[in-house]
Amino acid sequence: MTTQTDLTVRKSVLVNCSPEVAFHVFTERKTDWWPYETHAASGEKPAEVIYEPQVGGRVFDRLEDGRENQWGTVLAWEPPHRVRITWNVNPGNPTTELEVRFTPEGDGTRVDLEHSGWEAYGERAQDSASSYNSGWDLVLGRYVDSVNA
Amino acid sequence: MDALGDPTRRAIFELLSAGPHAVGEIAEQLPVSRPAVSQHLRVLKDAGLVAERRNGTRRIYRLDPDGVARVRDYFDRFWDAALAEFKAAAERSQG
Repeated sequence: MTTQTDLTVRKSVLVNCSPEVAFHVFTERKTDWWPYETHAASGEKPAEVIYEPQVGGRVFDRLEDGRENQWGTVLAWEPPHRVRITWNVNPGNPTTELEVRFTPEGDGTRVDLEHSGWEAYGERAQDSASSYNSGWDLVLGRYVDSVNA
Repeated sequence: MDALGDPTRRAIFELLSAGPHAVGEIAEQLPVSRPAVSQHLRVLKDAGLVAERRNGTRRIYRLDPDGVARVRDYFDRFWDAALAEFKAAAERSQG
């Protein structure tokens, strides 16, 4: 196991827009850019993605037919500078956390993203007794098609 | 991560994320033959993403806990792709 290692995924990207626009697109216009899985049952492209704009608020997709899939919970909501949420699509599975910061830089905005908490998956996966309740988040299914896109 | 570059393998990987499954159980849930499932499982196993154990005559497959670092790397690449899309969308919005 690699629990001693920092597994956090860190990414930075410079975008030619204000922090306000970047924050808005990231949180409220996610269907414009999120690379949705197409073949997975849970990976339908939603009509909208909603961040309830407060600490403790829900983050969820709403499909055309009204069904909702919760992605996580808001841990920090500081528009247009910072948002932190839990990723916990399947109850009972380990939770990871995503933090995104939006910082003015030159005429644009630097977006710094950190996705952390992978260690929890390793600990859970090692516990063979947890069997069907163990495993890794099905949220994977939503991510995968993008990689080779 | 080429092992997850194939849609069927990703579907198998997803299925195993819900818990261990035998080859037959996987084949029942996907529109592919049992031999094809076995072949995909071999690729996933070679990539260190999936582990197997024998249960009588059956082979049970599950995600390999030591593959966590690899999955983390996979997400690392995922975010590269997602943020590139995000950047394009944000800059379109700026007009």
